[in-house]
Amino acid sequence: MIPETLAPLFVVLQENVAAAPAIPEGDFQLGMAALAVGLAAFGAGYAERGIGAAAVGAVAEDDDMFGRGLILTVIPETLVILALVVVFLTL
Amino acid sequence: MSAQYGGPAGEASNYEYVTARVSARRASLFDEDDYRKLVRMGTGEIARFMEETEYGREMNALGARYSGVDLIEYALNRNLAKHFNDLLRWATGEAYDYIARYLRKFDAWNVKTALRGIYSEAGADAIRSDYIRAGEFDDDLLEQLAVADSVEAAIETLEQTIFADALREAYDDYEETNLLVPLENAVDRVFFEDIDEGLPSRVQADRATELYIEFITAEIDFSNVRNALRLARSGADMDPAAYFIDGGRLFDAEELRQLVGNRDQLVEHIRESIYGDDLAEALTELEESDDIVRFENVLDAALLAFADRLANRYPPSVCSVLSYILAKEREVDNIRAIARGREADLAPEEIETELVML
Repeated sequence: MIPETLAPLFVVLQENVAAAPAIPEGDFQLGMAALAVGLAAFGAGYAERGIGAAAVGAVAEDDDMFGRGLILTVIPETLVILALVVVFLTL
Repeated sequence: MSAQYGGPAGEASNYEYVTARVSARRASLFDEDDYRKLVRMGTGEIARFMEETEYGREMNALGARYSGVDLIEYALNRNLAKHFNDLLRWATGEAYDYIARYLRKFDAWNVKTALRGIYSEAGADAIRSDYIRAGEFDDDLLEQLAVADSVEAAIETLEQTIFADALREAYDDYEETNLLVPLENAVDRVFFEDIDEGLPSRVQADRATELYIEFITAEIDFSNVRNALRLARSGADMDPAAYFIDGGRLFDAEELRQLVGNRDQLVEHIRESIYGDDLAEALTELEESDDIVRFENVLDAALLAFADRLANRYPPSVCSVLSYILAKEREVDNIRAIARGREADLAPEEIETELVML
């Protein structure tokens, strides 16, 4: 779902590059890197939505689940960290 | 509380939240060890045991008014209603809709309770305390039902509900035979006919809806099996089609009519159906012992196992809620059976055969 909605954006970005260097080369790379982190963060957020809801449910039934629920909820954050790693390595 | 159809339109379902809470509650239900302890207790001990479990609040609230087995029974009913109202409180969107539809079971139960109470002249108080307030009916309506002085008046009270038409039709039958059976059947049929009303067909449904339909179909089929076997056993000269609930896929009305006459064929038919594997144990039990109560218990256990399997295969769906509802009902039935059994001084082994256990 997400790739389809974003596809036109890439096309526009590519066309811009091909037609006229409206954005200087370096800025473009920076922009794509920002987009990569943003998309990763979006994915993490989407994943956390379900886990967080379930974790709150579990905590509501049993307080001891708080620690485990918190850890499970933030596990998708690794997606963002990985994206940051990739960005730092490539820039 | 009231359960209305539809829920807030367009709102997304929160299956994750509901499933997590429901799973936690499912896990804290009594297990076999608890039952084994309970069947060896006297009624007083059972009451004390329950005070220390999650029935404590209800036991304390009702303790001043009732005692002994009645206290246990009313506490069970009230606890059941509390938990099922909780389900509706948590759920949103589609999930709410499905749960509300399924909980109409208790509207059917309340209507039947009221009719039986009026029929046997048990008095408004007895009816009131036997209600399970988990359905759509509000307290006013239930109160009016309880104080109705004849079956006819009770049916008139239900004018605004989905049960009205069916009950009015069945009323002539009731007047003729002076038996409640036609009315009770009408109520059951309305419930099962209403439950899949307006749902997309199996082919178009998304996964959650499909599982819901599958579960309901299984429940209808199992009810039909139960009715068919009861009829086959009693040998009564009644038209099986009158007891047939539409919507199952195990047999249609015509098949049922033929099969009721011949029990071996009926058992064979079930064995070859898609439920064959699930019910194999129950059917063998039936053939060996010819004990229909035992068979019905195994049938209940099979339905519960079926719901659990659906819930397991597709966790974020309404199935885990349905399996919890079933499991909770079983627990309440079991505790009630134990308490009543102990009151009647049955041996622990005898009571154990009456329990539904997985």
